[in-house]
Amino acid sequence: MQIFIILGLPLLLAPLGYLIARQKIIGVVNAIGYALVLLASILLLKERVLSGEGRSFLGFIYLDGLSAFFILVISVVALASSLYSIGYIKKDMEAGVVSGRKAKLYYLFFNLFCFSMFFVPAVNNLGLMWVAIEMTTLISAFLVGFYNTKGSVEAAWKYIIICSAGIILALLGTILFSSAFSISGLSRSLNWSDMASVAHILDKNILKIAFIFILVGYGTKAGLAPMHTWLPDAHSQAPAPISALLSGVLLETALYAILRFGIIVIKGVGFAYFGNLMLLLGLVSLVISSAFILVQKDLKRLLAYSSIEHMGIIAIGFGLGTPLAVCGALLHVFNHALAKSLMFFGAGDIVSAYKKHNMNAIRGVVKALPFAGIMLLLGVFALGGLPPFCIFISEMMIIIAAFANGSYLTAALMLLFLAVIFGAFIYHFGKMLFGNLPKGMLPPGEPLSSKLAFLFLFFPILTLGIGLLFIKKDLLWIAQGLFQL
Amino acid sequence: MRQILLFGILTSTYLMCIAKRMPALVRSFRYQSFFIFLITLAAGFSEKRIDYYFVALLILVLKVFIIPALLNLTARRINVDENLGLFVNAQLSLVAALVLSYCSWVFSRGLGFGQYHKLLAMTVAFAVIFIGAFLMISRMKALTQVVGLLVMENGVFILASSVSGGMPFFVEIAIFLDVFVSVIIMGLFVFRINKLFTHIDVTKLSRLKG
Repeated sequence: MQIFIILGLPLLLAPLGYLIARQKIIGVVNAIGYALVLLASILLLKERVLSGEGRSFLGFIYLDGLSAFFILVISVVALASSLYSIGYIKKDMEAGVVSGRKAKLYYLFFNLFCFSMFFVPAVNNLGLMWVAIEMTTLISAFLVGFYNTKGSVEAAWKYIIICSAGIILALLGTILFSSAFSISGLSRSLNWSDMASVAHILDKNILKIAFIFILVGYGTKAGLAPMHTWLPDAHSQAPAPISALLSGVLLETALYAILRFGIIVIKGVGFAYFGNLMLLLGLVSLVISSAFILVQKDLKRLLAYSSIEHMGIIAIGFGLGTPLAVCGALLHVFNHALAKSLMFFGAGDIVSAYKKHNMNAIRGVVKALPFAGIMLLLGVFALGGLPPFCIFISEMMIIIAAFANGSYLTAALMLLFLAVIFGAFIYHFGKMLFGNLPKGMLPPGEPLSSKLAFLFLFFPILTLGIGLLFIKKDLLWIAQGLFQL
Repeated sequence: MRQILLFGILTSTYLMCIAKRMPALVRSFRYQSFFIFLITLAAGFSEKRIDYYFVALLILVLKVFIIPALLNLTARRINVDENLGLFVNAQLSLVAALVLSYCSWVFSRGLGFGQYHKLLAMTVAFAVIFIGAFLMISRMKALTQVVGLLVMENGVFILASSVSGGMPFFVEIAIFLDVFVSVIIMGLFVFRINKLFTHIDVTKLSRLKG
């Protein structure tokens, strides 16, 4: 039942800009809508986890714990992003960068984008899931090219071409999966629940090749290196609330698709095949992103590369595959979405105050933007994985699982590169946050809605970081149910 | 009969490799889509399936008429020179296409679906996909990349209809719509690129680095 609220509200909110004249009311109504969506998705997750099994509606929607969890992650970031959009769009309109007509378009595409992302975890048919993921690309390309500058249009073009080409390979993989299903003498179907129930009798050879195509195809969208090349451009050129959505949840929806196919492969071929591929891609992502983070000059590109790093960590977690690692990886999906959105909001405030992306030219953020500056400082610690923030717990879980599993090399590499990346982050942000204001610059002031967005994200980062220490055991049990191995 | 149509698809794909100008490329794409239309129609006759007729009709309308017309319209409206800007000249492209076709033969044999007629269709499908990808990376103009994507999508369609007997009907429709929307959106972006940069040469889109 809740799923109809989750899917319906974004669609209802989409034409909002054309119904209400006052700009501020549009933003507020939008945020209230997403608060309701968040409520519905919390109820949905609770129901799915308690019942512990999948349930389908009308044949084409299928919900189990895993999909409910991803829906929750999307709705949290969507609410934060809609809160932050209020102040952000207002500032852009005052600066004359965005006209009233474009602001309406912004809310239209924002809602359609959220709808298409909610659709991905809800749908049962793997073909329709492909369509939904391609839809997320097409809609968000407009948002990436929103400012219509040379840089943003170039980024949008690269984004749409690379992701579409990648995702065609994913369609190829989907077809190979369905052919493995149809030559085993069963009726034709693309439903995940049908395929997963007979995975053990499917042709192993075809499953293996098909999964490679899936991994390259959806891996492109998930930002796993070496297919990540569109990501820094798109994330750095999009408006800040959209960067948060792209980085926090768009990548995760593609990862969700990989996991869905992964479950079939694990059942059909065995865990080692899936695990090794994920470990490999995860480690490559970690290594490549750390190199780019070290030498980065552009603030938003820095955060974009950090997304690649965190997708790598998540891939490593699923690649290890022990209950503790899977639990850590799922938690990391949530934690990364929170922390990265917070950082992108902070970066958005900095860019609109200083009018530049170059980190060497930005000084004294704490003086210019006291609230956002403090939040950014805490966010850097959270993103780097320091206690008492929640990313510490999830990274710790994955590293402990690696040691317990005997994958010492993975654990050692992960620790090494995490340390390098943390050092680079402290260096970059230390220079930017402190120091004196540039001459003649006045503190621009911070709207209440942005502060609310920061607090809304920071509260769970802190409480989860402390609270998880006490309820770890139940969590393991739940995680095992979510990702049924 | 089926074999002849498959060779028709392959030939029109090779024609794309030697096309040097946009209208020639679009025309070859039209031939390719037309052969796919015929193949789907033939499959509908032999298996007596009404939904195949409908899919065939969609291919005819969307891929033979509307999408090529849109591509031609875009090419004319942006009014830049119609050369595709070949990184790899026509002869070498043809050689590459032949090599890719052989690779797809080896690849589809390795997949091990067995029956002969399936093997042929799979080879053609993979060849079309690979050559589409090759077109995307070896031509400089933004519009060529759109055509390359469409060629890859055609290849995936051939694979779907030959290997797993096509996808469920409503999925097929959704994918067609999706392709159609993506062509329109990419066309819009080609317009924007042309307006901002006064060219559509993707090799010169290199502002964002590192």
